[in-house]
Amino acid sequence: MLSNWPTPEALEWTSQDERSMIKDLAVMIAGKAGDGVLFTGNVLAKVLKRHGWEIVTSRDFPSNIRGESTCYTVRASLDKIYGLSDQVNILLAFDCEAILAHLPEIAANGIVFCDGQGMTTPPPEQTLGRTFHRFSLRALAREQFGQEIFKNVIALGALSYVLDLDASLLDGIISEMFLKRKGEEVVRKNIQAARFGYDKAREITAETERHPLAKKADDDQVLISGNEAIGLGALAAGCRYFAAYPICPATEIWQWLVHYLPGFGGAVVQTEDELAALNMTLGASFAGARAMTSTSGPGASLMMEAFSLAGMAEIPAVIAHVQRMGPATGMPTKSQQGDVLQWIFGSHGEFPRIVLAPGTVGECFELTVRAFNLADKYQCPVIILTELDMGQNFRTTRAFDFSGVRIDRGKLLSPGELLGTADFKRYEITADGISPRSLPSWKNGVHLAESLEHDEKGYRDEDPLNRRRMMEKRMRKLDQASPDFCAPQVWGCQKAEVGFIGFGSTLGAILEAMEQLRAKSVPSRFLQLRTLWPFPAAEVRAFLAESRDIFVVEHNFSGELATLIKSQVSPCAELNNILNYSTLPFTPREIVEPVLRSRR
Amino acid sequence: MKVKASYHRLDPTWCNGCGLFGVFDALKRAAVALAIEPEELVIVTGIGCHGRLNNYFRAYGFHGLHGRTMPVATGIKLVNPGLQVVAVSGDGDAYSIGLGHFLHALRKNVGLTYIVVDNRIYALTQGQASPTTDFGMVTMSTPVGSKDYPIDGPSLALAAGGTFIARGFSGEVAHLASLIERGMKHDGFALIDVLSPCVTHNKLNSYDWYKKHILHVEEVPGYSPRAKAKAWEALNDPEKIAVGLIYEEDKPSFEELVLPDREKPIASLDLKVDVPRLGKIMDGFR
Repeated sequence: MLSNWPTPEALEWTSQDERSMIKDLAVMIAGKAGDGVLFTGNVLAKVLKRHGWEIVTSRDFPSNIRGESTCYTVRASLDKIYGLSDQVNILLAFDCEAILAHLPEIAANGIVFCDGQGMTTPPPEQTLGRTFHRFSLRALAREQFGQEIFKNVIALGALSYVLDLDASLLDGIISEMFLKRKGEEVVRKNIQAARFGYDKAREITAETERHPLAKKADDDQVLISGNEAIGLGALAAGCRYFAAYPICPATEIWQWLVHYLPGFGGAVVQTEDELAALNMTLGASFAGARAMTSTSGPGASLMMEAFSLAGMAEIPAVIAHVQRMGPATGMPTKSQQGDVLQWIFGSHGEFPRIVLAPGTVGECFELTVRAFNLADKYQCPVIILTELDMGQNFRTTRAFDFSGVRIDRGKLLSPGELLGTADFKRYEITADGISPRSLPSWKNGVHLAESLEHDEKGYRDEDPLNRRRMMEKRMRKLDQASPDFCAPQVWGCQKAEVGFIGFGSTLGAILEAMEQLRAKSVPSRFLQLRTLWPFPAAEVRAFLAESRDIFVVEHNFSGELATLIKSQVSPCAELNNILNYSTLPFTPREIVEPVLRSRR
Repeated sequence: MKVKASYHRLDPTWCNGCGLFGVFDALKRAAVALAIEPEELVIVTGIGCHGRLNNYFRAYGFHGLHGRTMPVATGIKLVNPGLQVVAVSGDGDAYSIGLGHFLHALRKNVGLTYIVVDNRIYALTQGQASPTTDFGMVTMSTPVGSKDYPIDGPSLALAAGGTFIARGFSGEVAHLASLIERGMKHDGFALIDVLSPCVTHNKLNSYDWYKKHILHVEEVPGYSPRAKAKAWEALNDPEKIAVGLIYEEDKPSFEELVLPDREKPIASLDLKVDVPRLGKIMDGFR
């Protein structure tokens, strides 16, 4: 079997001093779906976070509950990190297949623990210095604790030893997870299993193999996924109605909100499909709620119909779209950025819409809060566009500042303001295009939310002049809106020939790549777009003018962002695409290499 | 004190004799009977000739997309359960493009009054077969006769767990108004299917034809709208079309089940940012 192993490529990576404290490392947990890889990875991430480290996780899961290969990488660092590195220092594998798949990623001084029945220790020429340990997790779990399921906690105990972590960190998390749900006995047994794993690892590894992690104070950090951050942003922004249909990888937004919205007086409704989800969101918003839905892939296509209705009837709505790999059902558990142009140019007819693209979990929170204010202010649909990589993976970030959250409901009147009104015009033609809003039950505010072209009161009107005036009114709503949008952020050196442009979760890999380029004396800059529509043309034009070699980095096949830039900036500089349409998010190397190649 | 004029905005321009005039009048009569303030009433319509209703009726309105009245109306009702939310659809809207939404709003028992104006034809698009068009009927889309068997909304509603299932006739406005009024008072989902002639595109199912074919269940000796088996029998009568209150039962409404407090509508919640409470939630991520 060993002869089938792929020849590992020599990876260039900045090695740590092996004898001193480690400041950056990645641990991969691999196995089959159903092995508890997700549980093990999540707990490890939390342990390392409480050790005071910055965390980025990444999961590669099949769209299946059991039986296929999965892996979960936890990268931890003393410094601020946004993405994965190119290497794995420790691989803990629940089967041999995982080693075959991941050997090229394992660092030269890396360690592999493998619960591989019948596996022989590979000869040194095939391991390239990597240390292999057979670690019969399942057998040990059965022998010592009567059930195979304890293998995960044994593994976590072993990792605690190798990383020289305070054992109480793992004990604390075990107790938080199991005490309420399963009781003291389960907690006791799991802590015992963790200790057992810790001791077992001491037995089978040499002292020199340990990767002791430097300690750092936890300075107000939290470990959160993009989906949870969007949920928390919605809650803080006053979202009180949420309607959705289950779809991977967006469902966690809903599953998080369902625990909190009722306590805040709100409601969460599971609809029969995504057509209903967005229509219901519009009904709720029309009646006065700050309302939201979330979706992905095919669900977004179903929402295209009501997206247009929100534009025509000028109803505020927030739609979180967590992108997955398409087309069609595609690969529901893999990340992609292939739905950008759909929201910018999609649906029937022309109407104003806003598309926001957070690049960090902190921005998932901030832009969600902003999305509700923009939706109310401009009375139009607002899309929060993320990806599976951002939505489902966990990253550390500074705890969110709720005291900075402001709620702006725009031109929504109050019942009092309507008292003297005799002739309320819901779609009044105003200089900024934005009209006053009333809510059902308010006296003197009676109106019709109309999907047909309508007059200022909302009633059907096919007069050609009215059509022109109403179209212009709607389309000018965003003309003066740019100060309200999140401007693009420039990262890196002030002056650099190499300029990257990207959005969303590619940010982590781009920033890592910039570090690697800097080490090779290639300074670079990165323009991170946070509002994709209305397009920030002035900022992009300026960035293009200041850079010599421009690389647009996107996780899709055709370069949707590059297409967008070319359509909005004219004349446009030459754009080089760095594209990835594989099942995995970018690695820094995939960005560094094309840049270096272009400079040869 | 409310009168019909309280809800009258414009005179309708439907074809002379259209069944929708009867529905328009019956809806106003029901609103008068319950003395509903026009601003407490929301009428949600779909696409078809019925969709013009919002232009003529004075109340808050939402004229959305074809087939999507149910989710829109559900969103409105849940956010402000004090509102009287009436959805109006045609047979194409309710039983074709919006069939899924209809059955799901019904099984959730959302407190809506759903008036389905069934003329057995697509009239606004000039006369194509609808899901309730008779088998064999010649229409614009079925020149040699429809090959689709029609479906029956009230029967579907009964099978799907409807808690208020009624059928009225545009030609009997007082009776229809009483059904709508009872439907509005029902705490849960009320379906009122309306036999409603299209005088322009459906020459078969005329007022006279309906008069010959309807059977008032209230006139059937021993009929009780609380007996499901009787309701099924009435709806499956091969000769007659049952009208009246066909079935009724008490079940908690969706609003009662999912809203934390019906007396504190989501529409009027104070959205003040509760910093300490949110901070506590944030602590769960440490």
